[in-house]
This record gives sequence, C-alpha cells and structure tokens, in this order.
Amino acid sequence: MVTVKELLQIKGSQVWTISPEESLRSALERMSEKNVGALVVVDGDAVVGIFSERDYATGVVEEKNFTLEMPVSRFMSSPVYAVAQNDSVDECIALMTQKRFRHLPVMEGGHLIGLISIGDLVKQDLSEMEKKIRDLEDYIWIHMI
Amino acid sequence: MTDVSDLLDVKGRSVWSIRPELPVGEALKIMAEKKIGALVVISEGKIAGIFSERDFARKSIVINDFSMDAPVSDLMSSPVYYVLPRQSVEDCMTLMTEKRFRHLPVLDEDVLIGIISIGDVVNNLMKEKNAAINDLESYILKNKE
Repeated sequence: MVTVKELLQIKGSQVWTISPEESLRSALERMSEKNVGALVVVDGDAVVGIFSERDYATGVVEEKNFTLEMPVSRFMSSPVYAVAQNDSVDECIALMTQKRFRHLPVMEGGHLIGLISIGDLVKQDLSEMEKKIRDLEDYIWIHMI
Repeated sequence: MTDVSDLLDVKGRSVWSIRPELPVGEALKIMAEKKIGALVVISEGKIAGIFSERDFARKSIVINDFSMDAPVSDLMSSPVYYVLPRQSVEDCMTLMTEKRFRHLPVLDEDVLIGIISIGDVVNNLMKEKNAAINDLESYILKNKE
C-alpha cells in the first residue's frame, strides 16, 4: 500500500503558500505563475486554510462589491483537512471523494511538508493497477501457458 | 474498450451552455448552482468556447479593470479541444493529461452531444482496470487446481 510519504517522494514536496491578508490578485497571480490550482493559506507557522480556483469561482457569486483587492481570507476554505505522511493513498482518495476536495495539505509535527492533489493520487493509483495487471499477465505466461 | 459514447450513456447527455455575451457573474452563478466546473459557450448554434473555473482564475487578473459584468467571451478558452463519440476513453485521458483540461465537449458531426470531465474518465479507467485484475486473478485460481 502506497503512503503519502512515497507519493511526495515521487511528485516532490514543493508547496506554494499565501498569507490570509494578501489580496486575491496576489494569490491568483501566484497560482498562474506556478501553474497550480490551489495555495495553502498560512499565518506564520499555522495552516489556516486552502484557496483554490473553485473557492474563487464560488466565493465571488456571494460578493456584492467584488474587487481583486479583497483578502484571500474571505474566500479560502477553512478549517482544512490535512493528512500525515503515513496515511495511505487510498485513505486520501476516499476523503477527497467524500468531501469533494481536490487538494490535501500534508502535515508532520505541526509543520506543512507538502500538498497532494486528486490528480497526483489518481495517477499513482492507475499506475499501480497497471503494474498489477502486468505482474498477473507475466505470472500466467510463465506458469500456466 | 469503452468509448466516449459509452461514457455518455452512463453519465447522460445534458450539457449546460451559455451565450458569449453573458456576464461572467451570471455564468459563475450557474456553475455554483449546478455544481459544475465549466460551461460550454454556444454562438449561433456552434460551439464558440469553454469557460471553466480555471479560465476565471487565470484571466480575471489580466483584464484591465475587470468586473463581473465582463462578457464570458473575454475569458473563455477558444478554440475548443473536443472529442468524437467513437474515440476511446484512453484517448481522452491522454489529451486531458497533456493539455491539462478537466473537461472535453463531445461533438458528433459538429453538433454538441455531451461533455465529459476528468472525473468521468478516471472512474471509468479505474473500473476497467479493476475488472481486468479480477479476471486475471480468477483465471489463475481456476487453472491452479
């Protein structure tokens, strides 16, 4: 069973963050520059939220006097579900499917050490299934034909 | 192997579409209400573009004096990558992964007949690979005796 730790080793543990008082414009510019769909919102050392493309698109619908200078804290999702390094990929997929999250921060000892997306998890899962199919086919070729 | 048409049989063929002159704020309201991440933009009976949460996140920061009254045509992606009913699900996965799309309209002789999302594609691939694993395992068990 693959763990979050192994997944981070494959995809890298780079996380892009933003402070809650920074503007929507800053957040969106960072997302565009880094080509990511979400930022982790951190206040000093504490993770206080996640800000995703979806949070932005659904949040503005509620705003009467929308401007791009509004703070990220107004639009972020909070509280945040986080996972630990030893959690399994399957557990993360179940959590994301159930709660309809696309991103999960990875925390260890109170520190943010990574961010995993549903895309990372699915890619990992599919490649494991493909490997299992190849192994079973090899077994049949060697032992049964 | 499953094709796009089979996928549509499962998920249905209804597509939410809008006109290019609709204000962005109205488009986002529809997306929030229907809980969908993208809308197809239709002009004079033809597909003119696609408008997604990502388009909104990326383009609202590059338009001067952006407001929610801006027409969707200012932010939509165009031309649109699409698939045909007889294309395989694997094809869709490749296109979506390479181009980083979450949605693909389905066109049959230039007529829009549905839209598939990365979630539809992934669910199908997982189901197929699971079935293949089960078949191989039961073949091995049966022939071992």
